[in-house]
Amino acid sequence: MNLVEFMKIALFSLSANKLRTALSLLGIVIGVASVITMVALGTGAQEQVASQIGAMGSNLITVSPGFIRGGGGRVSQDVADIFTLELATAIKSTSPFIKHVAPTSETTALAIYSGTNIRTRVVGITPEYKEVINHYPLVGRYIRDSDVDNSEKVAVLGSEVALDLFGAENPVGQKIRLIIGERRHTLTIIGVMEPKGQVMMSNYDNRIYVPITMLINRGLTTRYVDGYSIEAVSKDVAKAAVKDVEAFMTRVLKDPDRFRVMSQDTILETVSQATSTMTLLLGSVASIALLVGGIGIMNIMLVTVSERTREIGIRKAVGAKRKHILAQFLLEAILVSVCGGLLGLGVGWGGGYLISNSMGWPFAFSLPAVVIAIGFAACVGLFFGIYPAMKAASMDPVEALGYE
Amino acid sequence: MNGAKQVFVAKGISRIYTMGDVKVHALRNVSFGIETGEYLAIMGPSGSGKSTLMHIMGCLDRPSSGSLYLKGEPIDSLSDAELAEIRNTEIGFVFQSFNLLPNMNILENVELPLLYGGVPAPERLARAKQVLKAVGLQDRLHHRPSEISGGQRQRAAIARALANRPSIVLADEPTGNLDTATGKEIMELFDELNLRGNTIILVTHEREVADHASRIIYIKDGQIEYIEKRVEV
Repeated sequence: MNLVEFMKIALFSLSANKLRTALSLLGIVIGVASVITMVALGTGAQEQVASQIGAMGSNLITVSPGFIRGGGGRVSQDVADIFTLELATAIKSTSPFIKHVAPTSETTALAIYSGTNIRTRVVGITPEYKEVINHYPLVGRYIRDSDVDNSEKVAVLGSEVALDLFGAENPVGQKIRLIIGERRHTLTIIGVMEPKGQVMMSNYDNRIYVPITMLINRGLTTRYVDGYSIEAVSKDVAKAAVKDVEAFMTRVLKDPDRFRVMSQDTILETVSQATSTMTLLLGSVASIALLVGGIGIMNIMLVTVSERTREIGIRKAVGAKRKHILAQFLLEAILVSVCGGLLGLGVGWGGGYLISNSMGWPFAFSLPAVVIAIGFAACVGLFFGIYPAMKAASMDPVEALGYE
Repeated sequence: MNGAKQVFVAKGISRIYTMGDVKVHALRNVSFGIETGEYLAIMGPSGSGKSTLMHIMGCLDRPSSGSLYLKGEPIDSLSDAELAEIRNTEIGFVFQSFNLLPNMNILENVELPLLYGGVPAPERLARAKQVLKAVGLQDRLHHRPSEISGGQRQRAAIARALANRPSIVLADEPTGNLDTATGKEIMELFDELNLRGNTIILVTHEREVADHASRIIYIKDGQIEYIEKRVEV
């Protein structure tokens, strides 16, 4: 007796009780479909995060003041005192692995142009910033060194800000008014940035860039910046650069808790750890569905075995060996779970596609997840089928025939 | 006793069932021999142990003690798989309630022992058709058991018993579920099989059925009461 003949017998028995087969199939379909969907959505989220972090600039390191414990989340003045424009140059000269250091300062302001006003973020920068975060002007020009030196009242608009304030009009050369705190400033638009979209938590298109000196001298009237964005020479030396910066900052501030150095790597690590934990969690929850489906198969198989006691007796009476009966019932269970797995694959893929389409979630159909889900389904069939099959195989022929 | 000529030799076989705390002696120290090509009937009241004896000879059950020799070979030391093989190749079993698989058609039912015997598909089909023709069911190949009469079902069951060309046919009350006329037809089939050289052993409690045999063993309370040798018909 070969496998094909066993398959025929198994298929025959399965088709003899279609509703029952369909129901046990359904359990596996739901299990596999949820594993496929959940893992695909999780992997999609992971990939999106990774690509967004990549979009922030390839070798980005940020330095910001640390929060002093018990200070209500505020930066203490002595720490803020250290964060000056001049420190940027000092940081740059501390390590050969640093390409650019761009000090940044941020505030919220009201931007007004001919009756339209919007609340937006104003970011004070230096010319290096565009390379550091990999974001360039689309129209006009960027902030120049001379703008920074003279605290020029010029601005580069993010693409959304430009659209909101100017619509179809070309903003370059126009003047807008910014209300920062109590003060009003009139700025000349010198450029508009290319759209970058939402990256991580920040929207780069909903910003106005101004020379950092203009923001801290004229706008905020302070001497201090919010932090520094640093570009490492290359990805390979980013870690070394982080080390150098940390060493330098510790020397300056004398306490590693008073500043924070974050590299793209650490962000990527943190976030991808979080998303892969999420994927794992989703996958495990879905696996429980698969497990329940497997228990369903076992349940149905046990009912089937006791219902087909006489059939087993007859088969044994005409010469079926233990292994024949075992193979027949085991194959039935595996067939159900593999078919369920394949159907679940289709349903999961379709479901995941629909969810990602309608919710705008990323979706990555990963081959390992497919292989694992189908393999797992087959194992579920094998595992939950083996007990009922053994029960069937070890039946006593006389008892099974319903004698006595 | 001549072992080579005898298909079955029973030496003091007993069968004890344990039902809870109660031990039921279905067979007590039974010894006999059955000649090759013999036509034997086993008679006795219900509960006498005749079915148990049948199951032991059919390799469906094992004696609790004593030995049974099939064609000179002791079978109590054989494994379950070896017993299954004997059931498949040496013995054809016919049941009172036919025991055909209801979901399969007659042809598939008859093919079953050949399937487990490892006969390749084309030969299987040919042999099943041939044996079904021999019992007169060539027009009922694709009918389900529920779609044919009781007599036809028993013919199909006999065809299944004969499919793998066993030398021994065991029949447990083969006419028990049939009317008198159909029962007679089935018995004629057994007579014919015996004439062709098959050893036929049948269990019955009907005298007319037992009269077809050349020897009748009477069993009562798990023991052989007496053996009646009949004149060849």
